[in-house]
Amino acid sequence: MMKNKWNILAFALPLALAAVPAKADLLDDVKSRGQLVCGTLGTSQPFSFQDDSRQLVGYDVDICKLVADKIGVKVEYKLLSVAARIPELNGGRVDIVAANLGWSPDRAGQIDFSHKYYVTPQKLLVLDSSDIQTIEDLKGKRIGATKGSSSEREIKNRLPDSRVIGYADSPATFLSLQQRKVDAQFASELVLVRLVNESPEGRPTRILEKAVMEEPWGLGVRKGEGAFLAAVNEALDEAEKSGEAEKLFNKWFGPDTAYKLKRSFVIEPLPAS
Amino acid sequence: MTFLSPDQIEQLLWGLRTTVFLFAASWVLSFTVALILVTVRAANIAPLRWAVDIFVAYHRNVPLLVHVLFWYFAVPEVLPEPIRFWLYDHGAEFSLAAIALGLGSSAYVSEDIRSGLRAIPHTQFEAATALGCGYIQSMRYIIVPQALRISLPPLIGRALLLFKNTSVAMAIGVAELTYQTREIENETFQTFTVFGIATVLYLMGTFLITAFGSWLNARVSVSNGRRA
Repeated sequence: MMKNKWNILAFALPLALAAVPAKADLLDDVKSRGQLVCGTLGTSQPFSFQDDSRQLVGYDVDICKLVADKIGVKVEYKLLSVAARIPELNGGRVDIVAANLGWSPDRAGQIDFSHKYYVTPQKLLVLDSSDIQTIEDLKGKRIGATKGSSSEREIKNRLPDSRVIGYADSPATFLSLQQRKVDAQFASELVLVRLVNESPEGRPTRILEKAVMEEPWGLGVRKGEGAFLAAVNEALDEAEKSGEAEKLFNKWFGPDTAYKLKRSFVIEPLPAS
Repeated sequence: MTFLSPDQIEQLLWGLRTTVFLFAASWVLSFTVALILVTVRAANIAPLRWAVDIFVAYHRNVPLLVHVLFWYFAVPEVLPEPIRFWLYDHGAEFSLAAIALGLGSSAYVSEDIRSGLRAIPHTQFEAATALGCGYIQSMRYIIVPQALRISLPPLIGRALLLFKNTSVAMAIGVAELTYQTREIENETFQTFTVFGIATVLYLMGTFLITAFGSWLNARVSVSNGRRA
């Protein structure tokens, strides 16, 4: 197998190299262009989605705008699918990605993360009628998660005896929970809050209070763009100091929104990779 | 660029194993159902023929992903609760995906076999009868071997399609090769490496199927009117 592995890598290597563009300093490039191209999901409420007038809005969208303003350029958005985030960034088709990028050491080996600008508690949703009260009650049970949304490995580490089933999207996972194909749904608190509100009348659901993990999000930047990354971080730090960052948080998650969340973090560096 | 860890390689191989099992299970089901469909249709009883036609039309006109979701989310709901929960405890994802894939493929396979049957001139049957063969004997020794030989190339094509289509089962959480690939991609962001490896693994699978098909084809092929 070892020998096979290297043969395979010899095949994959040229593909990977082809994706890395040769470019001078990105910060100069962005400034001379007068434009920051920001990749965002477009389908992720309330981070990046279209409002009633089909305008792209959301927390991620505002964060990109904020960074572009501080650098002194216009912002242009490019919609990406979850799977395309990293290839588009490393292929140079976007300058920066604001798209549910949870930080992990493995991921930080492939791209640079800005300072964290959002933290999402990952929690568990169960049927109200079930007798599950704590995370430990889920030992040996089936847990549904959305493929690609969060680290399945994390919950496997916490509950090694449980079976994690990754579905295509959160409605499919929720349907499985309703049909009792799984005993709990693992997702970010925001997603779960919405699902609790949308639960059918006969089958209410509840969120287990304790978070399984907290996932810090950063903006994604290509490796080797130190000056650009520093400018992005400077913009974020400034926004934290001036209170703009907190204002943005409250605009999308605060008391006047459906989520009514309290900001439990400040913008600060993520662990160095 | 960094490489995948041994754990991740192992994870991919487990995915490949699931893909192979899912392919095998759904292929056996699809071939069995296809033979039944062909037989029922050959009986030439109008209501049965219509039933087969409807089955084939339905499975050829509805997207595979919809089949898989239908079998996973809708069908178990009409089963009695004990059976349903027994199923959930015993790998419902895999078995329901195999059923959905197998049935979806059986419609095509049955049409391939039927076109093979239709390619055999009726005079062959008459000749067999003249030589003293009964219906069963004519079918067993004269008609079906020729029909299967003619259908072999399209059947190999169906097998290849089925092998690749197993990736649809990812939607309901079957941890097959594409599922594991996406999983590792999501964890490591090494998009090109991990999809490159998965591509090679899929190619190895399809190559084996193609090679087996060529071998079988050579074995049963006819040269100068004699079996080679």
